[in-house]
Amino acid sequence: MEIDDTTRDEVRAIIARYPETRSALLPLLHLVQSVEGSVTPDGIEFVAEQLELTPAEVASVATFYTMYKRHRTGRHHIGVCTNSLCALLGGDVVWKSLSDELGIGHDETTADGEFSIERIECQAACTHAPSVTIDWEYFDDATPASVSEVIAKLRAGEPVQSTRGPVIRDFRATEHTLAVTDDGLAGEGPSADHRMLAGLTAAKERGMALQDTAAPASSEGEN
Amino acid sequence: MTATIPVPADSSPPPVDGVSITVDGVPMTVPKGTMIIRAAEQIGVEVPRFCDHPLLDPVAACRMCLVEIEGQGKPQPACAVAASEGMSVKTQRTSEMAELAQRGVMEFLLINHPLDCPVCDKGGECPLQNQAMEHGRSESRFDLEKRHFDKPINLSAQILLDRERCVSCARCTRFSEQIAGDPLIELFERGSKQQVGIAEDRPFDSYFSGNTVQVCPVGALTSSQYRFRSRPFDLVSVPTVCEHCSSGCGLRTDVRRSTVLRRLAWDTPEVNEEWNCDKGRFAFAHAATPEFDTPLVRGDDGILHAATWPEALERVAEGLADARGRSAVLTGGRLTLEDSLAYSKFARAVLGTDDVDFRARPHSTEEADFLASVVAGSGLGVTYDQLENAPVVVLAGLDPEEESPIVFLRLRKAARKRQLPIASIAAWATPGLGKMFGTLLPTAPGAEGEALSALARGGDTLGSDGRRIAALLNEPGAVILVGERLATCTGALSAAAALAHTTGARLAWIPRRAGERGAVEAGLLPGLLPGGRSLADAQSRAEVAAAWGVSVDDLPTKVGREVDAIVEAARAGAYNALVVAGVDPFDTRRPDDVIAALEAVPFLVSIEVRPSAVTEFADVVLPVSTITQRAGTFVDWEGRTRVFGQVFRTSLALTDARVLAMIADELDRPVGRQDVAGMRKEAAALAPSGSGRREVPSVAASSVSASSGQAVVSTWHHLLDEGTLQRGDDDLAATARTAVARVSAATARAAGLTDFVTLSTDAGSLDLPVVVTDMPDGVVWLPTNSHNSNVRRVLGVDHGAIVSLASGGGA
Ligand code: SF4
Ligand code: SF4
Ligand code: FES
Ligand code: FES
Repeated sequence: MEIDDTTRDEVRAIIARYPETRSALLPLLHLVQSVEGSVTPDGIEFVAEQLELTPAEVASVATFYTMYKRHRTGRHHIGVCTNSLCALLGGDVVWKSLSDELGIGHDETTADGEFSIERIECQAACTHAPSVTIDWEYFDDATPASVSEVIAKLRAGEPVQSTRGPVIRDFRATEHTLAVTDDGLAGEGPSADHRMLAGLTAAKERGMALQDTAAPASSEGEN
Repeated sequence: MTATIPVPADSSPPPVDGVSITVDGVPMTVPKGTMIIRAAEQIGVEVPRFCDHPLLDPVAACRMCLVEIEGQGKPQPACAVAASEGMSVKTQRTSEMAELAQRGVMEFLLINHPLDCPVCDKGGECPLQNQAMEHGRSESRFDLEKRHFDKPINLSAQILLDRERCVSCARCTRFSEQIAGDPLIELFERGSKQQVGIAEDRPFDSYFSGNTVQVCPVGALTSSQYRFRSRPFDLVSVPTVCEHCSSGCGLRTDVRRSTVLRRLAWDTPEVNEEWNCDKGRFAFAHAATPEFDTPLVRGDDGILHAATWPEALERVAEGLADARGRSAVLTGGRLTLEDSLAYSKFARAVLGTDDVDFRARPHSTEEADFLASVVAGSGLGVTYDQLENAPVVVLAGLDPEEESPIVFLRLRKAARKRQLPIASIAAWATPGLGKMFGTLLPTAPGAEGEALSALARGGDTLGSDGRRIAALLNEPGAVILVGERLATCTGALSAAAALAHTTGARLAWIPRRAGERGAVEAGLLPGLLPGGRSLADAQSRAEVAAAWGVSVDDLPTKVGREVDAIVEAARAGAYNALVVAGVDPFDTRRPDDVIAALEAVPFLVSIEVRPSAVTEFADVVLPVSTITQRAGTFVDWEGRTRVFGQVFRTSLALTDARVLAMIADELDRPVGRQDVAGMRKEAAALAPSGSGRREVPSVAASSVSASSGQAVVSTWHHLLDEGTLQRGDDDLAATARTAVARVSAATARAAGLTDFVTLSTDAGSLDLPVVVTDMPDGVVWLPTNSHNSNVRRVLGVDHGAIVSLASGGGA
């Protein structure tokens, strides 16, 4: 894995953010993905060395979270939510048409390296089901046609704006933002819209408040 | 697990920090912080469990131990919820909710479990099997395709994993991370794909890996050594004690039809808790079969011929007839206490010589004086428990992970649980020191004595770490541990004794071999009699003669020679005979000299388990029993007697003590039958009486320094190396650390070293990969007896010697 000086500085800055070095594990894995497009064995060794962990400890975390990719990803990484709600509201259909259009399946990448696709789990965007993400940015209320149109634009190099987020750059750029939260881009674009906040608005109108629920006494450890 | 019936709560006041709870309606008081699962055990209620292990931090991963706690809506894991005042717990015995929850969890666990018990090594001793019988359904309701994995996969050459069987309890991963400090295996992936794994090209080469097989509650982890070898119900288990190092591990030896099939760690809370190292677990091929069927006698043709015992004994008697006072005995460090006592008596009372020494390794007179004055007859000294609770532990010339693994585990435990400060006087910070969160007091080989003296003076010359450690040494309970290699550092053992004296710290010697402490107790050193008595002291001589049933006049009066001097004297023709037992010449500092001595001596008796370099020169070879064919006692480094029984009770092979008794009979100087029971009686009669203790040595420290192109050798053994007793297990050997030579950056630069270094002496040379390490300049470290790194055999030198350095060409 090739690490340039800028990345090295970023690694140092990320580690310095935390009182416990180990806490830098998640952002460093994102940083590795921003450099390599995925978390390779080399990347795992690199992170382990930086944080004085064993490669097994790093690999354990890298394989637990599905946002860390262990296969080559495309320039754009597209996720289609196929959990129950999205699936019922069209996610399965969107997945099939996308997969057919690109000629690849789950966790695969097109030969030209432009796109990789993945069936993803609930994105907490059920209000706008079916939910699709491109380079982790939301594309709400997806249809086969809307996705196909976005693909065409990305191919043509035309700007594409996420429905609730920034203009799409590419997968590695998003990964870089995830790693180095202070690149000024983290808060770009709208996030929650009126449909998502409808419940809250209604509750406020009616003057509803949370009930005081005391947490049950439990000394159970972390699990 | 010891379950004691608690005293009813009303009859005794609760301890100060106790909490009162009820379990299944039974009131009890338990110490604050006690997990419910432990409390329940106290009234004999076993809550089913997989991930719970009393020595591992709770994780609540398997959910098998769900119980009902009054006032809480959901069932709670008994292994991870601490008892709190007034808590009312209902287990599966009194709560339908708990019962149902446990049955539910069991059903989930079995969904993806292959249920291949008939071909599984764990079948018959499997917690999953047992608990499924007790808390599961008799018929599975799951009729879909189960999850499949390729099986097995190698986590290391020795440890295999069948992922299908894993219940993700994380016992193996927690053991490796928490106990061993080797987080080389982890849980990977998630959900139904969750599995134990290693990182690419990073095998699970931990010295303690075998423990994971033992704690795995299913048959997911197996050792290549035992896999598919036996069913547990066909095994006969015998509690034994490990014969390798001086940690003194209690083991369980499992036997089927006269073959040892496996060894496990035996629950010994005061010593090895429930763990042991892979050497003790897997390296037992050496004891599989005695390699001599009969005694051997060298004929006129110069060849060893099989002989009967009477023939062989007669020959020995002839050879030893005129050897009284003109003979020596070398015994090595692997004998039981009983056998050591027999040699001690045989040398003095039968052969009339005090030229007897067990140290078939580099040694010094200072060391003999130290052992005789500080160690011999001191009884149970520093214990594991005291280590765990000490305010500071200083290691001098000792790397516990390599040389006494259970000491390492105990120190790591204390460092992890209560931040025990540990400091090491050595050339570099080893991985083991890192895992004990220890501090290095960087010391070149030979300068150990100076460093210890510096600590006695307040540590100023050793920087802020030195001052901090020196101050802690004055606190009650502080401990100094010295290792085998201090014998080669002039003044170091004297300085250690002086440091203990000035600070009040307790001092313990940790030898590498299981028999060394027992040999010291038996008096297998010149001038030293059993129980720390001195040959020069009349009272001591009288006591020993009485216990041996001989006349005081039968004992030699002249203090004898040490190994190096014996070797020299033998070459100079000073002896008529030499008796050698369990000595490997290649363990000594100058193997060539030892071999020359064996060759030179007119009559050589070898009392041995297996052919060795001594066999070639022996006039008579008398075979003795392997460790599995004899009962005995090892004295561990603490001074604790570790008694073990005979694994193969029908063996006709004899112990060394019995053989010596027969020789004595043949010589007409009978010493009794010398069976194990008799020798134990003798040991009791020779218990330390306090008479005749030798003076503590006070040798001035001196150090060596190397000129350019040279370096001072720092060396000690890897736990897994080319030691004789480790032969025959290739998979174990494959997990050994590879030999490298370590030098500082400046030393590497000065000698122009890049990838390889050639180390040479007038005896030979070694070519090793170089690892630049933070360590004193002008020093090179390499393992003593590893593959490609046989310091004594090839270079003919040891710790503290000077070698030449040159850029090497690669092996
Ligand atoms: S391999 Fe065994 S010990 Fe390790 S997590 Fe699986 S079941 Fe538990
Ligand atoms: S630590 Fe020592 S005594 Fe224990 S099993 Fe290992 S070699 Fe044997
Ligand atoms: S189910 Fe698809 S976003 Fe929630
Ligand atoms: S034993 Fe309690 S959760 Fe596993």
